[in-house]
Amino acid sequence: MKNLLIAVALLASATSVLAADTPIVGNVQTRCLITTDTNGVFGNPLPSKLSTASSDGGVVPVVRYDVTLADAYLAKVTTPTGFSTSPSLSDSVTWTGSTAVSKTSDAAMSGYEAAKVTYGSTTQFDLTKAGSTWFSSTATAVYGVSKSFPGGSYTAIVLAECIAK
Amino acid sequence: MIMLVVALLAIYATNAHSEYLYGLTGNMAGTGHTWGMNIGPSGSQSLKINGVFYQYTPVKNTEDDMVVHVRNKRFGTNEYIFSSTDDWSGLPGGIPITKGFVIDNLPIELWGDGSIDVEGSGSVVDANVVYSYKYNNDCLTPMSDPSCSGYIDAVLSMMGESKIEVYDPLADENIADVIDEKAELDEEVQQEDDEKVKAKDRLQRMLSGVNDSILYANVSSQNLLMFAMSRSNNLNPYYDKKLAGGVYKETVILSGGELPDNAKGARAGLAQQLLHTQMVNSQYEPKE
Repeated sequence: MKNLLIAVALLASATSVLAADTPIVGNVQTRCLITTDTNGVFGNPLPSKLSTASSDGGVVPVVRYDVTLADAYLAKVTTPTGFSTSPSLSDSVTWTGSTAVSKTSDAAMSGYEAAKVTYGSTTQFDLTKAGSTWFSSTATAVYGVSKSFPGGSYTAIVLAECIAK
Repeated sequence: MIMLVVALLAIYATNAHSEYLYGLTGNMAGTGHTWGMNIGPSGSQSLKINGVFYQYTPVKNTEDDMVVHVRNKRFGTNEYIFSSTDDWSGLPGGIPITKGFVIDNLPIELWGDGSIDVEGSGSVVDANVVYSYKYNNDCLTPMSDPSCSGYIDAVLSMMGESKIEVYDPLADENIADVIDEKAELDEEVQQEDDEKVKAKDRLQRMLSGVNDSILYANVSSQNLLMFAMSRSNNLNPYYDKKLAGGVYKETVILSGGELPDNAKGARAGLAQQLLHTQMVNSQYEPKE
């Protein structure tokens, strides 16, 4: 009887040693896609000014948000506050910028512009409808106090984010 | 793996067979808010609409009600084959709206006139309506196939534009000269052929005579040989015949022992002689 108990105990212990790791795999398909619709170009209307405004000879960058799930995301677009590449600058650069809804795929999205929230250089839109929305950003850089930008190539970045609510 | 390759080949073959061309229209609403559907290359009877894209900017007060319809009538009916409605009621204007639709390759024949219709207070500016389409180029040139629409018109048009002159080849001097020369040449060739045929016939006849002679000689020699061979067989039986020996005695007996003259015969012979003499002498008699 004692031997039998020992054997059962050994079997139990042997069974308890067996283990398996069962993976759980899941894929989350993005429901908010950001695409650059138009690359921006700086115009140089004044020696001290770079601007994306068409009136200044520039091209306004446009970014498109494609949302397949309504009322689930916030669009955050941040205009540049510095050059990502530029010649060496010895003076400060003053940045101004704004972002607006330039086009929608649904009439109900026309309220995005009125409902947008701006803080700092960032503009936030509540994407309450499914569909595509185009946002255009203007950016203006003024060098020093009427100081001429040194010659060279200047690049700035508009940051577009899609934040889940 | 093999099945995959076969499937890919089948897909490739299908794609290679159906060669569609694709295109986009211009802004159909560029000159007004109604438009016809005369799109695509002329003669492309298999043209199919596979997409509609439009954009416009509503002009309105936020508090106003406004509904905008972008649509196409189904050809020949009051129904719509395509219709998209934007309800701007209570919404601000000024922001362009753009929409795109995938259409399931509906033939152009089904598409009636298009329009942008506004209900309520407000208007639409900067309207842009574009259709995407596909077609195959089999009938891009209507005369490429009689089944293409416009084939008859194209043929008639071509005939009307070109001056048709009936060309009579027999009236062409160059061709007539060539025909004459050819006829003479044919005649010469025919004569040569006839002479060749005659010579050949003569030769054949001559050869045939020689052959006949040879054949006849062969037959004669064979006959002679056969005759010679059979002669001994034919004569030998006679040589083998033997007459029975003995004396053959006179069996005729003359009774009385006296043969009288034939008086009747003598008279006939004399008469003949007299007549003969008379005939011979008559040639010497003087003529009257």
